[in-house]
Amino acid sequence: MKKKYFFKSTLFLRVILLLSLFVILVIGGFTYRHISNLTNSTEIVVKTYKVNVELEQVISYLREAESGYKNYIVTKDTFYLKPYLNTKEKVDNSFLKLDELINVNPEQQENLRVLNKLKDSLFSNFSKTYPHVKNDITNTETFKTLLFEEKIIMDSIRRQVTNMFNLENKLLNERQKEYQSDLQFTPLFFYLVLLITLILIILAYNKISNDLKNIKAKNDQLLIFKESSNQSEIIGKHGNWVWHIESNVFTYSDNLYRLLGEEPQSFEATLDNFLKFVHPEDVDKLTQELNKMIDVEELPFINYRIIQKNGSIKHLKAYAKSFYSVDGQKRLLGNTSDVTNEVESILTLEERNLELERNNKELSAFNYAASHDLQEPLRKIQTFISRLEEKEADKFSDSGHQYLERIKSAAARMRLLIDDLLQFSRTNKPDKEFVNADLNELFENAKQDVAITILEKKAQITNDTLPTALVIAFQIQQLFLNLLSNSLKYSKEDKTPIIKINYSKVSTKDEPQLLKASKSNYHKITFIDNGIGFDQKYAEKIFDLFNRLHNKQDYSGTGIGLSICKKIIENHKGFIFAKGEISVGSVFTVYLPFS
Amino acid sequence: MQTDYIHIILADDDEDDILFFTDAFDELKINTKVNTFKDGVELMNYLNKEESLMPNVLFLDLNMPKKSGIECLTEIKACHKMAEIAIAIYSTSASEEDIEKTFVLGANIYIKKPSDFKKLKKVLSEVVSINWQYHTNSLNKDNFLLRL
Repeated sequence: MKKKYFFKSTLFLRVILLLSLFVILVIGGFTYRHISNLTNSTEIVVKTYKVNVELEQVISYLREAESGYKNYIVTKDTFYLKPYLNTKEKVDNSFLKLDELINVNPEQQENLRVLNKLKDSLFSNFSKTYPHVKNDITNTETFKTLLFEEKIIMDSIRRQVTNMFNLENKLLNERQKEYQSDLQFTPLFFYLVLLITLILIILAYNKISNDLKNIKAKNDQLLIFKESSNQSEIIGKHGNWVWHIESNVFTYSDNLYRLLGEEPQSFEATLDNFLKFVHPEDVDKLTQELNKMIDVEELPFINYRIIQKNGSIKHLKAYAKSFYSVDGQKRLLGNTSDVTNEVESILTLEERNLELERNNKELSAFNYAASHDLQEPLRKIQTFISRLEEKEADKFSDSGHQYLERIKSAAARMRLLIDDLLQFSRTNKPDKEFVNADLNELFENAKQDVAITILEKKAQITNDTLPTALVIAFQIQQLFLNLLSNSLKYSKEDKTPIIKINYSKVSTKDEPQLLKASKSNYHKITFIDNGIGFDQKYAEKIFDLFNRLHNKQDYSGTGIGLSICKKIIENHKGFIFAKGEISVGSVFTVYLPFS
Repeated sequence: MQTDYIHIILADDDEDDILFFTDAFDELKINTKVNTFKDGVELMNYLNKEESLMPNVLFLDLNMPKKSGIECLTEIKACHKMAEIAIAIYSTSASEEDIEKTFVLGANIYIKKPSDFKKLKKVLSEVVSINWQYHTNSLNKDNFLLRL
């Protein structure tokens, strides 16, 4: 956009310059022609004057000749013939000059020819009369006729000269008029030229000042941009540098100095000065990568360390790309960013992760070992109890029997706890194999496991057809089993347990409970029973490990079953929710991701 | 080798378990001869002896010092002479891993030690009266673990 604008602007200036040159050339041509016209006019006027003068001369010579001849006729003195003889030569000279002066005007030329003839006839007349005078036979008719003829010729000459004179004057007048108009037009023309030049100059000035204004505005924006990039460098902890490769000159941004722990522009920007800060182990790597960056266009980021003067080590990440400036100079423009915090936090995170993993492993191993190893002594205790009961029972007093019963039930409870714990720790193990399983089959298996209780309690269990889903099969079966036995366990004594299992495929946006869901569709399976229910305020607590809402005497249980359910659902990236109402029943809703 | 009694060997390091085991057979009215060994090395030393009488059923605990049940099982199955012995794994735990491993190695049945003496007697009488020929032919992973 900007580039286009500048291009347009220079094009416009060029056009104006060319136009100005052209106009000035045209004006020059006009001026030259005009002035040469003026010179011509002057020359013509001068010529006209010269013609007039020559004509006057011719007539005066002829008059002089005539009057001389007349004097001769009267006095018969040959002295008076002298001017007549001189004149002939002078008149011929004048005629030659005239011929030269008026050779451009055919009309005057014709006139001149006529005049020449008249002059010749005049002189021939003279030569005819001359013998009469000489022999003094003037009183003859012939002589008188000749004299009369001479007068007529002379008159004709006068008329002809007057004609020519008039014509020349007329021409002169015309030319003077022309010259006058030329003279009149000259200042106007020069004024016009001045005006046009002025307009062009103003136009050019206007354009240039506009461009300057634009450039100033752009410069202003550039300044703002520069300042904002300075600030963003400070906030983002990065700096930039330019390496003018041909001249081997570096420029560093202010913040690059700050990254090195120095005041902006506090030392000369050179590669060597920069390398002084680089961690000795990373110097080679960095210089190699930099050299590669000059040749290769795209390179991954370079990570290296620097040591600030105060001794603290920082992790830097750099990226650079070479490019050519407008004048064809090769440059390497680079950005360097301080990633110390990221590197440190990643290291801490990795450490924590390792620790967590270790803890988890230990915990899981401990859990497994504890529950597993606890089984052995417990098994022996139980076996010895059964031996006592069998072989020594008759030797016990009543209270002995009672104590034995208590030991037996405590041991049985411990067995339950250990089994559940073992189950829970198994759910925690990472070896989960997802398979496409028919949930109906898993549900039937689970139902089979509690078949005896179902018979005993005469429970009614109805279920929708369940889907096929990608699950860890044994875990989902465990989930169904735990939910079923939970409902059976917490059923009302005086009422037939009714357990309903509903299924539907739901979309996340329709389920207000699924706020944190990542998938868009879920299998929704609901276990609804008419048991003793629970207070809604415990809805989340019941999933906690070892959490029980009832005492052991009323309802046996370890507080692990629902924790296992929660764990299984978490393994499947699903959700489980409980809803209860005391003495009405409870609803367990399971969401499994739809795949 | 035809005898009128069933020869049984138990390899287990736990004295209590040995006591329960022998007591149970004492109380069972089955004609049996029970030999017990305290670890895997003792057991293998006996079995490897030329003159030793091979048992009909060998009850093998997995967790034993010196030589574990798994090691014994591997050695026995590799030896032609002992290949006929019916091997019952007799362990406290019944982890999937152990069951899988011993099944693959060729054990005939997996018994989880019961925590009730009556049950123990029942299990043992069940096991010694199994027709091994028939049982081995129809053996699969599902009926490998003895359930009562």
